[in-house]
Amino acid sequence: MMKPLLTTYLFAALFFGSGSVSATELPIVAIEQNQFTILEKHCTDCHSGTDAEAGFRVDNLSLTIDDKLSATRWQKVLNALNSGEMPPEEEPAIDKAEKANFLEHLANKMVDARRLLADQKGEITMRRLNRREYRNTLRELLGVQANVSELPGDTGTGAFDTVGSNLYMSSTQFEQYIALGRESLNEAFDRQAAAGVEKKTRFETEEITPKVAKFIEYQVDAKARAENWIKEVDKAVADPANAAAIEEIRAGPLGKHRDILYRNWKKLKGAPAPETFGFQTEEDNADKALAASRPFHLPYHRYYMEQPAIATGAYLAASSEHPSVLDNATINMLVPWGWPVGDYVVRFRIAATEHATPDRRFIEFGINPRLQQAISVHEVTGTMDEPQVIEIPLKFTRANAERANRSLYLREKGTRDDWEQATRVAREGRDENNGIGRKFALWVDWMEIERVPNVEQPPGVAALNQLPLDDKSPEPKDADLRAAFQQFAVEAFRGDEPTPAYLDQLVEIYHSYRQLGQKPSDSLKDTLAIVLASPMFLYHSEPSDPNQPRQLTDRELANRLSYFLWGSPPDRPLQDLADAGELQDRQVLDQQVTRLLNDPRADDFVDAFTYQWLGLERLDFFQVNKNHHPRFDNSTRMDACREIYETVGRLLKNDGSLNELLESDQIVINGVLANYYGIDGVHGDFYRPVTVPADSPRGGLLGMAAVHLMGSNGDTSNPIERGVWVLRKLLHDPPPPAPANVPQLARLSGKPLTTEQRLTAHQEEPQCASCHRKIDPIGFGLENFDAVGIWRTEDSYQALDDNGKPVADGKVTWTINPAGKLHKGPTFENYLQLRSVIAAQNDAFARGFTEALIQYALGRPIGFTDATLIEDVMKQGKRKDYAIRSFVRAVVHSTEFHTK
Amino acid sequence: MFPTNNVSRRQVLRSATAVIALPLLESFGFRRYARAAAAAAPPKRLVFLGFGWGVTEESWYPGKNTPGADYVLPAGLRPLERHKADFSIVQGLRNKFSVEGHAGSTWWLTGANPYAQAGQSYCNTISADQVAADEFGRYTRFASLPLNHSEINDQSGHGPGLSLAWDASGKPIGGENGPLAAYHRMFSKDSVPLEQRQQLIAQKRSVLDTVLENARSLKRGLGQNDNEKLDEYFDSIRNIETRLSKDEKWLDRPRPDAPLGEPNSTLSGRDEIKVMYDLIVAAFQTDSTRVITYRQPVATLLKSLGNSTAPHDMSHYHSTRGEKLVCSQLRDQTQSALLAGLIDKLKATQETDGSSLFDHIALAYGSNIRTGHDLTNCPTIVTGRGAGVKLGENIVVAKDTPLCNAWLTMLQGIGVPAERHGDSTGVIPELQS
Repeated sequence: MMKPLLTTYLFAALFFGSGSVSATELPIVAIEQNQFTILEKHCTDCHSGTDAEAGFRVDNLSLTIDDKLSATRWQKVLNALNSGEMPPEEEPAIDKAEKANFLEHLANKMVDARRLLADQKGEITMRRLNRREYRNTLRELLGVQANVSELPGDTGTGAFDTVGSNLYMSSTQFEQYIALGRESLNEAFDRQAAAGVEKKTRFETEEITPKVAKFIEYQVDAKARAENWIKEVDKAVADPANAAAIEEIRAGPLGKHRDILYRNWKKLKGAPAPETFGFQTEEDNADKALAASRPFHLPYHRYYMEQPAIATGAYLAASSEHPSVLDNATINMLVPWGWPVGDYVVRFRIAATEHATPDRRFIEFGINPRLQQAISVHEVTGTMDEPQVIEIPLKFTRANAERANRSLYLREKGTRDDWEQATRVAREGRDENNGIGRKFALWVDWMEIERVPNVEQPPGVAALNQLPLDDKSPEPKDADLRAAFQQFAVEAFRGDEPTPAYLDQLVEIYHSYRQLGQKPSDSLKDTLAIVLASPMFLYHSEPSDPNQPRQLTDRELANRLSYFLWGSPPDRPLQDLADAGELQDRQVLDQQVTRLLNDPRADDFVDAFTYQWLGLERLDFFQVNKNHHPRFDNSTRMDACREIYETVGRLLKNDGSLNELLESDQIVINGVLANYYGIDGVHGDFYRPVTVPADSPRGGLLGMAAVHLMGSNGDTSNPIERGVWVLRKLLHDPPPPAPANVPQLARLSGKPLTTEQRLTAHQEEPQCASCHRKIDPIGFGLENFDAVGIWRTEDSYQALDDNGKPVADGKVTWTINPAGKLHKGPTFENYLQLRSVIAAQNDAFARGFTEALIQYALGRPIGFTDATLIEDVMKQGKRKDYAIRSFVRAVVHSTEFHTK
Repeated sequence: MFPTNNVSRRQVLRSATAVIALPLLESFGFRRYARAAAAAAPPKRLVFLGFGWGVTEESWYPGKNTPGADYVLPAGLRPLERHKADFSIVQGLRNKFSVEGHAGSTWWLTGANPYAQAGQSYCNTISADQVAADEFGRYTRFASLPLNHSEINDQSGHGPGLSLAWDASGKPIGGENGPLAAYHRMFSKDSVPLEQRQQLIAQKRSVLDTVLENARSLKRGLGQNDNEKLDEYFDSIRNIETRLSKDEKWLDRPRPDAPLGEPNSTLSGRDEIKVMYDLIVAAFQTDSTRVITYRQPVATLLKSLGNSTAPHDMSHYHSTRGEKLVCSQLRDQTQSALLAGLIDKLKATQETDGSSLFDHIALAYGSNIRTGHDLTNCPTIVTGRGAGVKLGENIVVAKDTPLCNAWLTMLQGIGVPAERHGDSTGVIPELQS
């Protein structure tokens, strides 16, 4: 009996040698005896024996936390100490340092215990497509961009969006899948119907010039009419017969207002109605006339007409401050009605004028001029002598049907993020130009849009080639329908065959839709939408061997690989390799990893993985206070956030070292960011590597504006968030979750204290000190970066009272002192030294990356059982000097990645 | 002379008074599915209103040393002054398993242990509203209406979830996001002829049959865990089937006339809450459902008040105070004023027997977070006379009494035969009048 068992075991050990699959030994999470003595000393007097206070016994607490009960009891201890409830006031207090150490120990053990109890022991739960994969899969299948924002997000649970056990399904969601699938089919059918359509139109922007001229004419005329009316009212005012009326008006509300008599013209005998002077609106026409008498924007419009190139193009102006005023702050162009969905190209010919200072060389392109956020921002390097043509690809979809959504616009960067900014920009422009209005920095010659024919037919649409997609052709035969459904389903199910019964039912459903009176094309779409809500489409299924883990089939491996590195289904070459049974070959697999990572579809991996690995959700948390940070406009913010992804993406493309993210003399930026960071000689919209001097604060994640934005509230820096982020993401030493029920500090409010003084108070209470002694020094060391990542040497704080009003003498300004010492770690004098101290921990950083990568790739949380796997991947990464692709390869070659 | 049947009584009511008209359905033998006993008195209703980031502790809670009816209403609750005799504030409640200082609503109505299931980063159990929906849901078109704010991604400190409601397997239940969606769900008229609607239901059934066929073929060979995962899919389909069966029963009964106009799609923040409250009243007036939860917006509420403080920042007003404290207090007062408006409406809306909606409702309003990261003494207001709860008092219960005890008290009060809920240890006698 012994022998076969042994053989099996040996086989398993060989086959699953490196990984956690065979490693069943879990670590023991236990409170250390010497830490427990503190409880024995302070708690057991009351909390022991059968008559323990509150029925809670400390004396029989198990030091090992290995089940729900023991975890719950220890959580109670943690809660009682954190809240300050225990020990009671009349009992001796616990020594502060001792308490801080104990709380740190216990809080971390609780985190370990939670992980231990949540350990899936290597098992990968089947999962549905997450929101991102669902979108990408529809894109690959049907060539459409589905709007998936209505589906529930998958990242809210704190786990990776690939972790199956956290990806739920609900009836609401099923209905959303039906609806989204249906809309995607609408789009795909429309695209297909217009496959060969070519369209092109150009807008010559000098068409704006006569509008300005006409508006000037109108303003001049209205001013004259208004002045005539005013003259007539003045006459009535001078008439002694009106003295009493005037006195009465003056005594009323707003009696001192300069226009009060004009606004009350009705009470004055002999004063004519403004309507008789041509002011005929439904509102108060006296006000209209008064406004027309002071044509505030007239000088700016006249200034426009003096510009040299208005006969051949248009200048982008500052926003006007009132909607009734002619507004040429944006150049708008409507995609003509009736133009079909599809791939478009937008082009415009543009130049920077002599007034284009370095900050004013950027143009925003967007849809719907009323929206604040542009789609993209472009640097203008063309001159009036040699304008340039900028070209932007645009997917035009059914979602663009409405007027607002087919209205494309160009505008100068940072001039209309919001109302406050727009008026500030206009005001500053007037101040700099003799009160006339902002000088013109950008000139546009023309703007054009072109529809290009569809390049290729997506597989889901190709599957329907034997069917008529319109309603004019004769009804398809059942056999053709069934064959098309079969082909479509196989494409949708990533190669898996549906049952004959399923196909029969689809054909039946098609007919019943027809019987309900639906058109053939609608019946077809409704039927296909069912396929897109079927489990074989929605789930990544991998059958299990009930007896032991099994090796994946080639097809399954191809799926795992492409969803790992693309977030979308395998393409034809990958499928072919799988079908030929070659994908398990190490060399072939390596080639495929390289090919997939070099493909643009890998951008999805870069974006989604980076977002979750580095915890970037705070990037979108805050509105930036643009009065305090005027240069960090919406477009700059957009590109600053991209910097993180572009940097990681570049490392991945070049197989660079992870260490580059901690400390580097190269940064990956474009023209917008070069301008923002004050780096010369970098122009254009593409991100490229740029070498910075050794003493530059830029280089590595901690030099990025967006990283500091996350460590702020959009206005002031938040050293705690920054410290926590560094511990969590760079040093792989995450502090336990913010404890509940810690008494709040209120005594410092209203006092003029520096940030450090305010926050250091945290460390007085041991509940707080246990974590903040680690967090705060890092945060303080990063204080040279303001809320939007600009380097500063000074900071200030204005204390406010409980009504939000500044406290007198409540302002304090100080020079930032970044020097500090990590808790139980080295000292540093300044930011650059802190950066080096952190960079020296590159092993910890790589470990965090490795764990994240494994979770993302395998779709399950990391467990203690994964220790060997982590070590293996780390070892292979280190061997290649932390080259990023070596980690990816190590994960792909791991037994776990090949095993169900 | 008026005939003496129900219809005319209703007409009299409508013509003689300014009260809001009762739904037509009330008077046409609408309750033929209800139990005979329930037909006599107006039905009981249950509402939970939850907000994410807690309250300003200094100015929201009355003193614990002044329990009973004779207490001073603090600033944060002052807008409720006119209803002081008609609501109680309960102090001392908490969810003992809640240790996450950033999730104001996920476990609020469930009291679940987030870590109870191995292999998951969090889990949940059924929420109190769904327990009531199980009991009352069969009488109405909608078993319950979980309403949610219209924010894209929650920024209001609620934590994981799609609404306040969680189903029997602890999965989140999707809510109607914002007033417009809720309005259409309740009142959108079906212009399609009956026969065709029956065909449509049959059509939907065959769609479900088809995906189930696919699910069954997928099931073959799956391991146990994966099977459990696929069960979620089966459950979803089963839920739709249940709904279809119910739809079928309701097929010949038209949706009620909406007692209010279609809400503007751009409503947000304060206006959104206000209209959502109107819709809650409308839902009960038309007996569209008897159980409602509303996961209220906080982030957009602040924005609609012209306040630029970030909501999470506001909830941490304690150390800097200043504008964050101001913002937090403004939030409290605005929310209290909105609640006062809802109570006005509930009192003004008459039932068939001349009593008011307020007489038959049990409403709880609060958050799982007190303030900052504090999860004890969760802010809790109860109102409505439907559950026999004591009103008009500052009720101070034993420290750390389970929140679920309060939910259980309410559930039993409205006649749900629940013996326990979540981590409850019993009802709260102090809460019973």
